[in-house]
This record gives sequence, C-alpha cells and structure tokens, in this order.
Amino acid sequence: MIYGLILNILLWFGLYLIVSLSLNMEYGYGGIPNFGKAISVLVGAVVVGGIITRILIAIYKVKTAYGFSTATSAASNELTQAIAHNPALGFFLLISTLIIAIALGCIVGAVFILPSARLREDYLAITLLAIAETFTMVCYYNPVIIGSYYGVSVPDFLAFISGEKKYVVFTAVVLVLAFLTYLFFERLLNTPYGRLLKAMRENEDVIRVYGRDLMRVRVMTMAVGSGIAAMVGVLLSFYTLRVQANSFMITGRTLWTFYPFLIILLGGAGNNRGVVAGTLIFVTVMEVIDFYKTSIVSFLHLPVEAVWLEYILFGVMMLLILYYKPEGIIPEKPIATPPIKRAYETRKVSKRGVREEY
Amino acid sequence: MPGMEVLTGALIYSNLLVLLAVGLTLAYITTAVPNFAQGSFAVVGSYTALTIYRLFNIHPYVSLPIAFLAGGITGLASYVLVLKPLIKRGASVVTLMIATLALDLILLGLRGIYAGYLGKLTGSSCEMFMFTYLDFPILGVPGILVISTLVIILTFSVLFTLLYKTKFGIALRASMENPDLAEVMGVNVEYTRMFAWFLAGALAAMAGCLLPFKQEIVPSTAEIIIVSIFAASIVGGLNNIYGALIGGYIVGMSESLFTYYLSTIFGAGMLVYGKVVALAIIIVTLLVAPQGIISVDWKKLYRRWFS
Repeated sequence: MIYGLILNILLWFGLYLIVSLSLNMEYGYGGIPNFGKAISVLVGAVVVGGIITRILIAIYKVKTAYGFSTATSAASNELTQAIAHNPALGFFLLISTLIIAIALGCIVGAVFILPSARLREDYLAITLLAIAETFTMVCYYNPVIIGSYYGVSVPDFLAFISGEKKYVVFTAVVLVLAFLTYLFFERLLNTPYGRLLKAMRENEDVIRVYGRDLMRVRVMTMAVGSGIAAMVGVLLSFYTLRVQANSFMITGRTLWTFYPFLIILLGGAGNNRGVVAGTLIFVTVMEVIDFYKTSIVSFLHLPVEAVWLEYILFGVMMLLILYYKPEGIIPEKPIATPPIKRAYETRKVSKRGVREEY
Repeated sequence: MPGMEVLTGALIYSNLLVLLAVGLTLAYITTAVPNFAQGSFAVVGSYTALTIYRLFNIHPYVSLPIAFLAGGITGLASYVLVLKPLIKRGASVVTLMIATLALDLILLGLRGIYAGYLGKLTGSSCEMFMFTYLDFPILGVPGILVISTLVIILTFSVLFTLLYKTKFGIALRASMENPDLAEVMGVNVEYTRMFAWFLAGALAAMAGCLLPFKQEIVPSTAEIIIVSIFAASIVGGLNNIYGALIGGYIVGMSESLFTYYLSTIFGAGMLVYGKVVALAIIIVTLLVAPQGIISVDWKKLYRRWFS
C-alpha cells in the first residue's frame, strides 16, 4: 500500500515538475501570466490521440468504417503486440512521439501568444486563458480530433514488460525526463537569455531601451515553455493508455494551469530549486489526500466526492501563500554573474543581494 | 433569414451576457483586476434559484431578488476576504488575478459540495438542471425574453440614476476615474470598491438565476461562460460600464447568429462553436482597438474614410 503511494508520488512529481519548470520560465522568470498553461499539455495529448493514432491507422491499414475510436484500438493493439516482441520499437515510439509533441508544442505556444504579445499583463492573461478554454472546448465537442467523449486507445510503449514492473519502469522514464528538463532549464536560464527574461519581468521598458523586441522574447519564451510542457501530455496519454477530451474539460484548467501556479508560488517563483521543493510538497499532499480520500469523506460524513474538498483546500492554500509568503519557501537569489561573484568574495554584497558597504 | 426562435434566443443570451459583463467591468474599473471568478458568481445565482424552487416550489422569476442578494454577498465577501487584504499589501495585478483564479476554484469546490447536499436533501441529482419547462409565454413571446429585458432596463436605469443623480454616484465616478485624486478629495475609495464587488456578484447571480431558462447548468458552466463574459467586456471596453452594454449585445448576437449561419451551411454540429466566435472577437478587438469599441473616435474615422 505505502509502496504504491510512494510510487504514485514519484510519478506525479515527475509530471508536475516538467510542467512547473516550464511555467516557471514563463511566469517566474519572464513574468508572463500564462493562464492558459493547460493548452500545452492538451497539445501533447492531441499529438498522441490525434496524430500518432492516425499514422498507425495508415501503417496498419485499419478500416475506419466503424468509427475513429474503434479503428484506433485495432491499430494500437497491433503496435502493442509488435512492441511486446521488440522493445526497441517501444523506445522508438516514445522518442518520436515526444519529438513531434515538442515541435507542435513550440508552434502552438508561439501562435498562442501572438495576438496578445504586445499587451499589458491583465489583457495578456485574459487572452491566454480564453484561447486555452476555447481550444479545450473545440477538442471536447469535435469527435474528429481526439475522439471527444469516448476517447481513443493508445499503444503501450512498455508492452514488453508485464505486471507491476511496468509501472516502476514508467515512473523511472518520467523521472529521467523530469531530470533532463531540470538540467535544460538550469542551463538555459543561467545565460544572458535568462537574465533578459528577469529584466522583462521587472520592467518591460528596460527591454525596449536595450534594443530587444519584447514581442519576440515573449513569443520565444512561450514556444520553449509550451514545447517542454507538451511532453507531459504525451506521458499522461501513455500512462492511461487512452486519450479523452472530457478529462480536460472541467479539470484541465485546475490540474494544468492552477496547480502549476500553486507549485511555483509555494516553492518560490523565478528559481528552479524552489520549484522542485514546491512540486514535492504539493504532490505529496495531493497524493496523500487521494490515498485517504474514502476515509476522509466517511469521517466527515460527506455525501460528496473528495475532489471538491481538494479544490477548496488548494484554493485556500493559494490565497494563504499569496498573503503570507508570496516569495515562496526558497526565495529567489540574485543571479551569480561574475561581478556579483567577485562582490561576494570581497564581501561587498551580502547573501541577500543587499549592498552593505562601498 | 434566421427564424424568430433564433433571434429571441440570441436576444436572451445577449441580455444575460450584458448583466455578467457589467459586473466584470465594474470590478475592473474600481479595483483594476479582471475577475476570473465572475462565471462562478453566476452559478451562485443558479443554485440559489434551484434551491428555492426545489425546497419551497417558488418560481425562479420570483427568487430573482434573493439571487441578487446571495450573489451580492458572495461578491462582497470575495472582495473583503480575498482581494482587500492583498491590495493592502501592495500585491501586483498578476497576484490579484491568481487570487481570483483561486477564488474560482474554491467556489467550484463549494458548488460541488452544495450540489451533493442539495441532491441528497431533495432526492434527485443537482449536478445538471434546466428551468426551460418552467417558462411561460408573456404576450406571445417567451417569458424569459421579457423578464431578462426588464431586468436589463431596471438595472441600467437604477445604475444611471445612482451614478448621475446622487452624491454617492459622483463620488463613485470620481473614484473610478482617478482613485488617488478622489481619495485626496475625501472620498472613501474602499466603499466604492465594496459597492462595485457587491454589484458584480449580484448582477452575475441574477444572470445565473435566468441562465437555466436558456441553457443547461453543468459543473463546467462557469468555465464555459467566462470566455464570453471577457469577450463582451473587452469588445465594449474594459474601462467603461456602457461598453459592457454594447459588448454584451455584440458578442451575444454574433455568437448566436454566426453559429446559426454556419449551421445552415455545415450542419447542426457548428452550434457548439459559439466560444470560437467570442474568442475571435476578443482577438480582433485587441489587435484593432485594444481599448474597446467605446474608445473608438468614430468622427475621426468617418472623416478619414469619407472626405
């Protein structure tokens, strides 16, 4: 039981870490209030459910006379059978899907911010949220894209492993990808580009004064952020072996926009280590609630599902963080550029970045 | 030509959107924060009406004033408990927006729990409901059209009288135009903000009370409608109350009529894409006239094009 809980925590830690790190680049570093983060996860799911399945249907020449959903399960079954005998095929499926998802995520991210890239942050947030909600709704209402309500079946890239072990290997794959994402963002944001983002967050005019195009920086940031987060949509689909649009309908904004924001603010915006800490705490709380939900509900004599309590709890938690600890558990540190490092050494600057003496 | 049914449906929807957008705009003008929980305020009204109908068998039209109060209290509580402490701490706009997102999530959770309780109490599920079967024709047109139009007329005449004929209205307008200056002149800006949030919640709840006559209330109603509310406020101009009036009709009519025309060409499947129209309106407005239609200098445009 406890073993299962820990494994669950590790799996969701990996998934949420990828999304939160990418949102941290957009919001924590760049100050872009991306209230439509869920769209990038949905893009990953669309790549698996709408593109990969179609490629498979074409490869295995499955008849689509009985509808798209039925055809996908036949095609996915064929590939799953093939992977069971040939592990390399499963590996190839995962890598190629991830690459397609990252590419499409980048494109969607860039297009997604184009209409509002020049606008103030409140209009920016409204537009991003509106686009994400509309896109989710179109995927939900249009059965052609990812099978809508009934969903589509997805091949199992770990078909060569059976039973309990498959779950462990899957979690390991997610954790490796999350670790690579962490390294990627650590490297990417410790460059002049990372400092440019922080400058943009503090004051947009500074960016213009130094001759940078605000719109270009924003478009680029959103492209990278959405591309990385699209991986999570792929992993989620491979985890459940199904893609269903209605799983994004009510919970999409909560799970993949609100919770990542909560994680970032909990851990500390603009700092990747804080995001790791925030993700760990958040996912542990979430999974423990999930683990004990039946006993919580019966203890409180509630005639309802525990998910509503979870929403209230996390909503209140967000408000408390905003009010009492807006800088998070691990506050952002000044960037260690060579001059600042020298200043540390000569003790002209304290660890908090405040000048003590001249 | 679309039939009468389509036109009345479009009008009803526009009326409700106006009510929702006015609240959003009022809260934005006074506190400078786009309220992402506006859709949930509407759902408060829907559930107030449902509770009164199921428990006391009172028609939802009669419970409009109670919905007004319930929504108003929700709006006021949201401001006093959530936003005011943050504003006092000098929180940024983004922080306030995230706070309204959190508020929306809390209201969604409360809705779920309340619907569960009400369902258990009345013995039938309260997750999805409609009031269409309760409607009756007034003078040959659907009752909901008459009632929603009356509510709009009443709201705007009261609002107009309040803003332009009373001392409180002058103070209110002053603190909307320039909060700092108004404060120097002895206006308590806090009151105007509280008033605006009360009204935002109250008007939204009235719209929510009437919404089940037009479409089904589902757990995701608040999320579905928020795009249209923002579209209405933005196209009219987020900085002007009358912008919400114009914007509500533009978005409501084009959502209904445009999807209707598409459905005559491509089939009934197009009717669900109303939100795509709303989104397109937001984007076009932001690209062409970011301050909304109300800010466009029509005389200047006319002179440029026709002389």
